[in-house]
Amino acid sequence: MSVQNGLFDSFDNLDQIAVLDIARWLKNAPNEVVLENYLANKILYPQTLPLTKEDAELDLAILREALRANGPKNLAKTGSFLGDNTFLNVTLRKILIPSRFLRFVPSLTALIWAFIDAFLLERERKDFFEDLWTITLTGEIDEVVGSILLPQFSDRSGMLELKQGSQSYKIRFGSLMIIPCPLNRCQIVYKFNKGKILGKQESAVEVYGGRVGLFIDARDKKK
Amino acid sequence: MKTLKRLRIEKDIVTRVHRTLKARGQLNISLGQEVAPDDIIGSCWVSSGFRILNLSQTLSVSPGEAKKYLKREIGQKIYKGELLAYKNQWLLGGKKMVISPSDGILEYLNEQTGELRLNFLPKKIDLPAAVYGVVEEIDIPRGDIIIRTEVSRIYGMFGTGKNREGTLSIICSRDELLGELKITAENSDQILVGGSLIRKEAISQAISSGVCGIIAGGINAGDYKAIAGGRLIFPKKLENDIGVSVVICEGFGVQSLGEDIYGVLQKYNGKFVLLDGNHAIINLPSFESNCMRRVRSIALPKQQNTIVEVNELKLQDIKIGSMVRVVGNSYSAEQGKILSIDKIETVLPSGVPAFLLTVETKRRKIKIPYDNIELI
Repeated sequence: MSVQNGLFDSFDNLDQIAVLDIARWLKNAPNEVVLENYLANKILYPQTLPLTKEDAELDLAILREALRANGPKNLAKTGSFLGDNTFLNVTLRKILIPSRFLRFVPSLTALIWAFIDAFLLERERKDFFEDLWTITLTGEIDEVVGSILLPQFSDRSGMLELKQGSQSYKIRFGSLMIIPCPLNRCQIVYKFNKGKILGKQESAVEVYGGRVGLFIDARDKKK
Repeated sequence: MKTLKRLRIEKDIVTRVHRTLKARGQLNISLGQEVAPDDIIGSCWVSSGFRILNLSQTLSVSPGEAKKYLKREIGQKIYKGELLAYKNQWLLGGKKMVISPSDGILEYLNEQTGELRLNFLPKKIDLPAAVYGVVEEIDIPRGDIIIRTEVSRIYGMFGTGKNREGTLSIICSRDELLGELKITAENSDQILVGGSLIRKEAISQAISSGVCGIIAGGINAGDYKAIAGGRLIFPKKLENDIGVSVVICEGFGVQSLGEDIYGVLQKYNGKFVLLDGNHAIINLPSFESNCMRRVRSIALPKQQNTIVEVNELKLQDIKIGSMVRVVGNSYSAEQGKILSIDKIETVLPSGVPAFLLTVETKRRKIKIPYDNIELI
């Protein structure tokens, strides 16, 4: 069937998503029936664009849940080297965002947050290397656009002091921050009070930069 | 600039339709014979059910003894009010009688339980041709006849339920809600045309009223999942049937039945139509005898393309003046003509850049991205 592409083409189980799970990502969620009909019309007419800001937020909420529902399988069970997932390479710690998604969600920042919410917010860490992820836009040419840092706070009163270039930043527990890093690689120096990154309280590391920079997610992790 | 073209209506096409007996019976037709809608092409006897009567309990005898008090032989007919069994009690006096509660045939007496099965008398059901056409195939064991005929065909978006037929009845306007109060026993054996939304309460009412089919603009996704096997997959792969066939022509939620489809259905109000819910197809046989000229002259290939292939979506160029329908969640199911096509992109309130079209509907002019329309 020759049809136009849509944001949710990669998912064939959208109808299995619980609408209440979608609603939790929305500030003013419409009622369950409206939400369910919206999702069903997205399945029926995948090519359609959101007209209003509310529709765009709804699409992002559906995307978060669609990504979660299609998250990586257990490596030990599948035996797959790269983690058996199109959007998350667990072995190389890469988040892979298809560049065609930008046609439907033009804000790359919003798209990256959606991927972080879907894959990293509740992810159980196997080791401290999972504190650092690279963000890659995939398409005809893959482009690294930045990195994600997930500081591990041992206490809610903890504080992360981070220096990138000549700029210093203070990151508290529960906050989100984007630090510009337009170069391909950039060095960060950090000092943690009540917490660790990559297993250390204080260190300097080189991370991938790019057009969006360094995302720091210091939110309370569920696991 | 290209967008999807969806085939919604095919007018006056020569195709094959099946006419099938509801039970074993006789076909009174021959190959190549020309038929008219009123011609009876077969008839069958349909059993309308049975009733169990516990004779041994009623007569106060052991199950093995019940047979000797029967006043009719097994296999015989009996009519309502006639004496079915009789016992004269010698010692204590008095008599015990069992009167037949309905017309029927004595089917079987279980000597272990003393229960008698009384089959209701079968009804004769005639099968009318219902269309003008030429008989192409006859399958006697299955009681199935294939007739080459002329129909107008409507392709809905999705649906559920097996092939059913009946008289088309428009019971509300295209943008009204089809409530359960609008459906009564008078709609038995009909195919109802509803409005913008059919809810599960109305579907339940339709089943209990003996309605054959329902055509509507929209349905709530939860209700559709409940009647279609629990999933939303298009095209649907499962063959479901809940006792009524449903075809939804626009989408989910409140969506007025498209002007194009409603216009065609209005012409067939009160006429015989066929509805295939699982393939979301409505066949509207021509009711004009002069269609026979085309039916006679057109020979169909042995294997016709499957309906899914015919209804495949295709990308087509957008042109000013083309008729379109809006799809998705905003302005959904509105239809109109393209007045202009923007040459530069506009950033929508959602932040998404898109080429917009100006579409003139009957009520207003709207600006809509070309991704959110389908050519019709």
